[in-house]
Amino acid sequence: MYLPVDASRVAASAMARFKDHCEAQTGLRFADYQQLHDWACREPGRHWELLLHWSELPWCGNATPALTAGDCEHARFFPGVRLNFARALLRPLDAAGESRCAMLAVDEAGRRDECSRALLRAEVERLAGRLRQLGIEPGDRVCAIVRNSRHAVVACLAAAAAGAVWSSIPPDLGEGAMLDRFGQLRPKLLLCHLEFTHHGVRREITERVENVVRSLPSLQRLIVLDEWPAAELAGVPVETLGQSLSAQPWPMSEWPDLPFDHPGFILFSSGTTGAPKCLMHGIGGTLLEHFKELVLHTDLGTADRLLFQTSTGWMMWNWQLSALACGTQIVLFDGSPTFPEPGFLLQLVDREAVSVFGTSATYLHALEQAGVVPCDSVRFEALRAIESTGSILYDSQFDWIRTAIKRVPVHSISGGTDIIGCFVLGNPLMPVYRGESQSVSLGLDVRVMSEAGMSRYGEGELVCAQAFPSRPVGVFGDEGGVRFHEAYFSQNPGVWTHGDNVRLLPRGSARILGRSDGTLKVRGVRIGPAEIYSVVQTIPGVLQAMAVEQQAPREPGGSRLVLLVVLAPGTVLDRALSLRIKRELNTRASPNHVPTVIAQVSGIPTTHSGKTSERAARDVLNGKVVVNRAALRNPQTLDELAQNPDLQIPV
Amino acid sequence: MNQSLRQGVIDWLDDNFHFGDAESLIGGDDERSFLKNGILTSLGFVRLMLYLEDTYGVSIDRKDVRPDNFDSLGKIVRYVSALPGYRGPRD
Repeated sequence: MYLPVDASRVAASAMARFKDHCEAQTGLRFADYQQLHDWACREPGRHWELLLHWSELPWCGNATPALTAGDCEHARFFPGVRLNFARALLRPLDAAGESRCAMLAVDEAGRRDECSRALLRAEVERLAGRLRQLGIEPGDRVCAIVRNSRHAVVACLAAAAAGAVWSSIPPDLGEGAMLDRFGQLRPKLLLCHLEFTHHGVRREITERVENVVRSLPSLQRLIVLDEWPAAELAGVPVETLGQSLSAQPWPMSEWPDLPFDHPGFILFSSGTTGAPKCLMHGIGGTLLEHFKELVLHTDLGTADRLLFQTSTGWMMWNWQLSALACGTQIVLFDGSPTFPEPGFLLQLVDREAVSVFGTSATYLHALEQAGVVPCDSVRFEALRAIESTGSILYDSQFDWIRTAIKRVPVHSISGGTDIIGCFVLGNPLMPVYRGESQSVSLGLDVRVMSEAGMSRYGEGELVCAQAFPSRPVGVFGDEGGVRFHEAYFSQNPGVWTHGDNVRLLPRGSARILGRSDGTLKVRGVRIGPAEIYSVVQTIPGVLQAMAVEQQAPREPGGSRLVLLVVLAPGTVLDRALSLRIKRELNTRASPNHVPTVIAQVSGIPTTHSGKTSERAARDVLNGKVVVNRAALRNPQTLDELAQNPDLQIPV
Repeated sequence: MNQSLRQGVIDWLDDNFHFGDAESLIGGDDERSFLKNGILTSLGFVRLMLYLEDTYGVSIDRKDVRPDNFDSLGKIVRYVSALPGYRGPRD
């Protein structure tokens, strides 16, 4: 065990209070979280209805039925409920809550932009008023190329207030990737920054934005969040945000209430199998699921400050935004977390009294490899939990966090864009075990699918057997739901198949094992790449690795295992390091995990949403056409693989 | 003894099975049995054969992949360097 349950927090935790509430309402007794969760899966309608009422989120209509008949693919939640997403996030707090900081935006240069809840609401009301003037109506797509900043939040909430569907991407995305996404959405309005700074380098993207605007004939207006002197760009009328904010406010009380499954956000799947899927997420499902994850599982309240290191293109941005509904203060960060020095972001976490810090396992690993020990210089007095996601957080990283940052619960959370939330995450009622997520998300009927069928425990493909509120309401432009069905339900009809491998343990925790589509079968043996990564990432000098199966007709089984490694600056893959990697894999995993070839590369193919794309690398190494290079933020890594003589298919 | 070929086989053993320990397993005795001392299995003989073909330009009759030719460093070196088409150094 890494950390036992914090007895001082359990009784007062929101999860415990909700458990008590469920007991009082049902007359049942739940001895522990597992029993509560089992009941929530047995009686999903009752559970979600109780949660909706208990949340005190603003909504109107009738919460019965909570769930219509149908399987995971077809059932609908709360058909009689209506709400406004922005109103829920900006709901009034007491006087102190209204006047204190609601949102703080900080960039890599250390600039701070702070605003109160009252001021934030006033800005949203004014921009929402302008959107109404511009004719933005419920269902219209409002797209944004924006930095993680206060005005990005204002714009998103104003769009939500008007009932528009918000879709944002960061400004460092390439032009092709921008068009692959927004080109499918026929947006009426685009908001954009025209420059960004990353790792001390300022980049202007006006030309890129101009080309995007030119390729979006549906656009009627552009709102620029930076300074812009002209009245048009590529033939589209332009105004600055300053001008937009001078509009007559549209009071929050008048914002329209919309159906529970009205689309509020469009996120993009990693797109390694074609053009990115435009996943539409409903306002009610997103809100209720986020509320549950933030309040119950993360135990966030009005005393907390949450900083999740994310861009505007990752679902964690939406997740953090929803913390406003809990009265939690959010701290936005824009820029490089390692500029001007590797530990910069963690210094910020300390300086701004962040209580819950979210980041990626990759970032934590990079700090470890760089030899950074943040707690040598700062104390993290306010910090009480660390969230990690994006890739697997290995056992040894839990120990590193404890010794180098602080002895706090580590929440290894996993879910994704597809569900705008988490399947497994933290839990104040559960202990923390190294390398594991504390629990399955309340009421999500997560199971494993293996050759033996579907089961509650064991190892296999992560599936969700019942409907859940944050299941996307569909894929935009997907007539008849064909693409949606194919992506998530064709493999196991009636059951959501997520694409991750997982081990569910009887004690209620879970261990994510990697993407199921990246599973290797070398020399006739099935190998989970995560087992390789968990070993390799502890070897000094190795920053990142990717295991790929490459056809090798003469090898037993017809294939060989190739390991791509990104090494620390100044480190070279010499014979000694190569043998060290193999020896560690041989002894700590198995001889089957030893690669035939190890190649040093400058980068691992990674999608714009930050997921490594084993599939893209596998296609290149096997001489196949990579279906969608534009889905990658570093497509040049594919060329490097193709040109490496050691990585050619052996004859 | 063909030192280049000898070192090539040791490197291959390290790359695929022993990861730096091959030389010590052989223990200075080039006639030490691979099978009896856990240095290489018969399945390993097949993989070694492929490597030798690819690296030294030889063609190995599958019937020759047997302990007589593969069960020690010395046997491998003598067998391979005598094959027609061997293009490695013969030092």
